[in-house]
Amino acid sequence: MASAPSKLYADDVSLLMVLLDTNPFFWSSSSLPFSMFLSHVLTFLNSILLLNQLNQVVVIATGYNSCSYIYDSSTSTNQGSDNGRMPARCVNLLQKLEEFVIKDEQLIKEGLREGIASSLLSGSLSMALCYIQRVFRSGPLHPQPRILCLQGSSDGPEQYVAIMNAIFSAQRSMVPIDSCYMGSSNSAFLQQASYITGGVYLKPQQPNGLFQYLSTVFATDLHSRAFLQLPKSLGVDFRASCFCHKKTIDMGYICSVCLSIFCKHHKKCSTCGSVFGQAQSDVNSTSNKKRKTPET
Amino acid sequence: MPQVRIIAKNFMDMVAALPAMKLDKLYENAFICEAILRSLPPLAKKYVLQMLCIEVPVTAKSMEEWVLPDGVSKHRVAIDRLIQLRIFTETVDRKRETTYTLNPIFQTNLKKLLLYGVVLPREPMPSNVTVRLPSSEDLEAFALEQWECFLLQLINSSQIERPSNISSSMMKIFQRGLLSQRDKEAPRLTESGFQFLLMDTNAQLWYIIREYISNSEERGVDSADLISFLLELSFHVTGEAYNINTLTEVQKNTIKDLADLGLVKLQQGRKDSWFIPTRLATNLSVSLTDSSSRKQGFVVVETNFRLYAYSTSKLHCEILRLFSRVEYQLPNLIVGAITKESLYSAFENGITADQIISFLQQNAHPRVAERVPSVPENVTDQIRLWETDLNRVEMTPAYHYDGFPSRDLFEGASDFARGYNALLWEDPDDSKKMSLVVKAENHVHMREYLSRQRQ
Repeated sequence: MASAPSKLYADDVSLLMVLLDTNPFFWSSSSLPFSMFLSHVLTFLNSILLLNQLNQVVVIATGYNSCSYIYDSSTSTNQGSDNGRMPARCVNLLQKLEEFVIKDEQLIKEGLREGIASSLLSGSLSMALCYIQRVFRSGPLHPQPRILCLQGSSDGPEQYVAIMNAIFSAQRSMVPIDSCYMGSSNSAFLQQASYITGGVYLKPQQPNGLFQYLSTVFATDLHSRAFLQLPKSLGVDFRASCFCHKKTIDMGYICSVCLSIFCKHHKKCSTCGSVFGQAQSDVNSTSNKKRKTPET
Repeated sequence: MPQVRIIAKNFMDMVAALPAMKLDKLYENAFICEAILRSLPPLAKKYVLQMLCIEVPVTAKSMEEWVLPDGVSKHRVAIDRLIQLRIFTETVDRKRETTYTLNPIFQTNLKKLLLYGVVLPREPMPSNVTVRLPSSEDLEAFALEQWECFLLQLINSSQIERPSNISSSMMKIFQRGLLSQRDKEAPRLTESGFQFLLMDTNAQLWYIIREYISNSEERGVDSADLISFLLELSFHVTGEAYNINTLTEVQKNTIKDLADLGLVKLQQGRKDSWFIPTRLATNLSVSLTDSSSRKQGFVVVETNFRLYAYSTSKLHCEILRLFSRVEYQLPNLIVGAITKESLYSAFENGITADQIISFLQQNAHPRVAERVPSVPENVTDQIRLWETDLNRVEMTPAYHYDGFPSRDLFEGASDFARGYNALLWEDPDDSKKMSLVVKAENHVHMREYLSRQRQ
């Protein structure tokens, strides 16, 4: 797959942005404990950095209320005190992660949101894309970026617009979004993200062997992907969320001017302000397509 | 004289050429595993990683299932490389099914690296012992100066200020193939010698290190040990001091040679002495395709054939002198002109026009490098024209036949030669001499033909 233009680096130098889900509501109920998950991921990060001395890994924690950069291999010094068996790299990462989780928890106490306990994926996706943009602008010599979402918690429909915007922005800058979904059912957001950006969506059947999934599928650099058959998702859930109540809907109303989606008829589009006419009564409608509002 | 082919060969090709015993021993060192893993083609790296936690043999078929039709050749290359380096062991079982297993030593070492992270080969010395460490700029300058000094000595330049400590016998080995010496004459650069000078520093370093290693057996040093030490050295941190007493006796000798090449800087403290790896050393395991170490250009060529080189280096001056007339030299600038005479002397030495042009293009000053073309077209054209000037006469070994008994035989023979596309010249029809010239490679056919006709 072709990525950003003009590179002088060898083909397989990659910049891997890892979005790590730290949502406590998910991990408390997950079959794979968070500590196990982390050790798989840390080994995976080590292996990416081992493959090429120019490879770069950035980890962004996706919390319940916030997200933050917790590790950047280009800035943190790899050397330093090896206290015991843990390498300095992991120590740094774990320390930052702990600080982040504590901070995130305090935010939860301040205002607990209603409904589904989803993570702030839109925030961390945007942060990853910002970082990638900065790398793109740093000069012609940069690694090939890709994003890996390690997500567990379910989709938050209220983030629909933000996530879709992030996905399209990634698509424009040719950054594939890989997703490894640890939750019980499939994530429609991540399926769409990977589908649109040409990444890989995978839901590990056996979460205990996470490292094998990560190293077999997600460690593949963009150069090698042109020669390999990576898992394809069987079906993608393309359902959208409405702009008014942030609910995932099968059928709805679309503003003919700005394409905003609503779950029920409004007099006026809340996004662009266009005034809609009277909707036809939908009692006798049998069309299974999304209904467009009549022209104004 | 042995024919030395100057190619920017990779360290790993050399490693791959080691006998199996030595190779297996090399893998006991975790750094070598890491360096070798990094040198692999991208697909091969991925295969190693995905096999890392698999203890049982993996069938070739199951691996091929992953490969798209476009990638079959890449897959083949990757697998061949892995087998060549003995990272993969190929076994064909009774059901004629091919399976691969990862080299167990390699596997364990990589697993350790993954779990415990990368540990440095040796601890740098505390900063209170090493008081005055050179700054990274100083170190860089030292490495470059040392390397340049070595190169000047290598090409037997008269410009050397202080000869390096490299023994003359060692120098002779390095010079082998780069210089040719006719009796009583000053040694001259050969064609490959010039190519060598035109390569970038990393490639030159490789060439020298390769010679150094291939010569190691004569000095009583095991080449595998040397390779492992050099690879280990490349994992040291640039600019940190390492105690020399942690090295073995052989390594100590080696490090002295390396210091002369500018790979390490030796410093003597009150009690201890230590070595500081420079960028040249840490680049050793970097594959040559990474151009991140590319130097900045310095040459500006104008349409009037004048050449301005913004450089303080004597080596650059020497190189330019090979094909241009250096007119004057300012502290940071060399001004010269490309003339017919200067080029003719270059061509005489076996340097080709394309080499000169590519040197000028590769080393174009950043200001002109943005332009297309970076070297004016009229200059490149003229260089090529002058080269073809010299090649107006083409030599072909040939045989001359005359004294044909009859006109028929003569014409038959000339037709026969024409059939082989070997006829170079024949007498005009009206001439009575009847003689023709045929390429030497077809002489056998001609002789057979003529003897057949005579019967």
